[in-house]
Amino acid sequence: MSRSFAVVTDSTADLPDEWRDRYAIEVVPLKVLFGKETFRDRVDMTDEQFFARLAASSSLPTTSAPSPGEFADVYTRLAQDHDGCISIHIGEQLSATAEAARVGASSVDGFPVNVIDSQTVSMPIAFLCRIAAQTASLAEATEAVQRRVPRSRVLALLDTLRYVEMGGRLSRAQAMIGTMLDLKPLLLVADREIKSVDRVRTRSRAIPRMIEFFRTEMPVETLAVMHAQAPGDAEQIARELRRELPDMEIPVGQIGCVLGTHTGPKALGLVYLKK
Amino acid sequence: MVAATKAIGVDGPLFKRALLGSLSWLGANHEEVNRLNVFPVPDGDTGTNMLLTLQSAVEDVKESNAAEVSKIAKLASHGSLMGARGNSGVILSQIFRGFARAVEGKSSLTPAELAAAFEEAANAAYRAVNKPTEGTILTVAREAGRAAATAAGSADANVPRVIAAAAAGARAAVLKTPSQLQILRDAGVVDAGGFGLQLILEGMLKSVEESESAAAIFAETKEPVSPASQVSLTLPEGGWGYCTEFLIEGSNLDTELIRGQIEALGNSVLVVGEPELVKVHVHTDDPTSVINIAGGYGKLLKLNVGDMSTQHRRILEYEGAAGPAATRPNGVGIVAVVAGRGLVDIFRGLGIDAIIEGGQTMNPSTQDMLNAIESLPYHEVVLLPNNGNVIAAAKQVIGLTKKKVHVVETHSVPQGVSAAVAFRPERTGEENLRVMKAEAERVQTIEVTHAVRDTRSNGMKVKKGDVIGLINDRLEFAGADYAEVVKQALSKLGPDSYELVTVYRGEQASDAEMARLESEIRSQYPGLEVEVQQGGQQHYPFILSVE
Repeated sequence: MSRSFAVVTDSTADLPDEWRDRYAIEVVPLKVLFGKETFRDRVDMTDEQFFARLAASSSLPTTSAPSPGEFADVYTRLAQDHDGCISIHIGEQLSATAEAARVGASSVDGFPVNVIDSQTVSMPIAFLCRIAAQTASLAEATEAVQRRVPRSRVLALLDTLRYVEMGGRLSRAQAMIGTMLDLKPLLLVADREIKSVDRVRTRSRAIPRMIEFFRTEMPVETLAVMHAQAPGDAEQIARELRRELPDMEIPVGQIGCVLGTHTGPKALGLVYLKK
Repeated sequence: MVAATKAIGVDGPLFKRALLGSLSWLGANHEEVNRLNVFPVPDGDTGTNMLLTLQSAVEDVKESNAAEVSKIAKLASHGSLMGARGNSGVILSQIFRGFARAVEGKSSLTPAELAAAFEEAANAAYRAVNKPTEGTILTVAREAGRAAATAAGSADANVPRVIAAAAAGARAAVLKTPSQLQILRDAGVVDAGGFGLQLILEGMLKSVEESESAAAIFAETKEPVSPASQVSLTLPEGGWGYCTEFLIEGSNLDTELIRGQIEALGNSVLVVGEPELVKVHVHTDDPTSVINIAGGYGKLLKLNVGDMSTQHRRILEYEGAAGPAATRPNGVGIVAVVAGRGLVDIFRGLGIDAIIEGGQTMNPSTQDMLNAIESLPYHEVVLLPNNGNVIAAAKQVIGLTKKKVHVVETHSVPQGVSAAVAFRPERTGEENLRVMKAEAERVQTIEVTHAVRDTRSNGMKVKKGDVIGLINDRLEFAGADYAEVVKQALSKLGPDSYELVTVYRGEQASDAEMARLESEIRSQYPGLEVEVQQGGQQHYPFILSVE
């Protein structure tokens, strides 16, 4: 391997398996807890298994960050054949994962770890990892990633506010949905905040609204369409966007278990790095 | 006598008396007007709306001792504008406005000037309506004006004769309305608003005739006279008090006896019914005494006491921690007319700043809406009337306030919800108006209720009590059963083009009826998402939004 430093992320990056293998990116799983049962995200449970269980479960699962010890184990192993590491994680406003990484890194002597708070979630982190993996040095990677962190965006269309509300990440008031009506919130994760962009009554009206808002965000450097068990909708959105942006690779990715716990099934997202 | 009548011009005091006479006569007969409701749906009653509008017109007039007719007419114009409720009320306010303009600067009117003012009043009403329809109050106003003008042109013209001609012209026009409007013909009624205007002119005539004869009698005997007409023309002192209504259930009830006792306590007295059940309606300052007296005759049912002095509906909600921190970035407030506890919660949850209680059967006045708008810390306000009968009064608010008011013409609760959902605090008022309007027009409304009378409407024979289904305010189906009517309505809309049905459950719908309706929709239309909300609205067991 020509690259001397390692690239680490966590399972909320929704990193495609193909990228993980091609760019040799290390993924540390978060955990999903159904009652007393603990599953490592995307290790002990596939996304399909997770959403089936989510739908059947009367109470919502909880999620937890990897422990500092788990990070320390990973860094120790990577130190054997790398001279340093960039570790890019889910935004600290959403999870304690980056903090655990920092604590874990401090216990591994002589191995520099640059922990990056991505301020975001899902595939923008994967984009940052890919960018890091394509640079020549840890310093260059850190600079390239940090420069892009403020430009990462997640535009999420939830099918219901129920999950994100129960997960405590967002109140109905913040989503501008104080009502008993089951509205579909269109949310934007940007600048360490979750902002309400719109609220729509039906899915078929909400999807065009999401694309409409996305157009106001262009130009973008990278773009992906995410979904939680809604591949048909996601593919259709990707097809439409590929027509508008013929030169851009627009992958379709799956929202993993941890994030899925908060978005609920049928969520859709456009994730991108703004130019 | 001839010399005396010639001397009478319409000055301030006489016009004031005429208006009070109108109010009494309409007050005594407004239930008759209500019964002329063409559509068999329980909606805002024309008679009640006109009466409340007229009451507001007279509110300031009764305090005034102005000698000039122009001043009284101006007060009536302003009062009716503020109190306008329902479509007929709004047109009535425009009639007053036209009259006031015509008599501007005049202290007293000759018979010819009075007739000209009646004609100008009708013209103003025509101008105020987008698409004037013949066979309505507009036609009646015009015919009244024409008849008045003809009478004023005759050699022996005097004020009572001009008013009498206007009233007679109105009556003749009212009788012709069914030949002009198919819906009236089908329903077998005359136009309610036109009839209301006829009553107003007749009330004027009565008061003028009486003042004339009273003046003559005073001159001779100096004794007070009792009103010749059956209707009490006593003018209220002080406030308008409380509109008190109830039923007395008993045996051998004597309506004459009861009326006599209650008349002593108020005005606009109505006591009607059978020996076993009597309906009482009175405007009184002392509802307690009325209730005590009536309670002596039997059991009181459906007691309803409403404060008329304020006339201002409660503003249910104003979450104004009015500081600048509470205000929105766009500086635009949002106000809605809503009735029903659940619906109020739903609208509140959507971020409505002030909710005006009202809707289907209780149409709020222009003043009610104006008060709500003025109470907000915003200079720009979006107003959602949420009922076809409230839109006209809502639009009158524009121009009565320094604030910029945008009326999104929502005809129903589902339209109102769609519009409210689309409101965004970062958009300007104009942008919100455009988007909210488009969203409101996208949703289909199904309303389910019971026919309040036998009628023919939209080619259908409907019996009182039948379950009826309306799609976007148009009566489409009648049947015996909620679920059947709803299924018919859904299939007419073509459920394949929609994805979500929201059912707003009314007060009257039982758990079993709700469960049945829900399961029938789900099994018949598996492709539709169904969401049930507790609306708590009266009169309409179910309101459905289809989108």
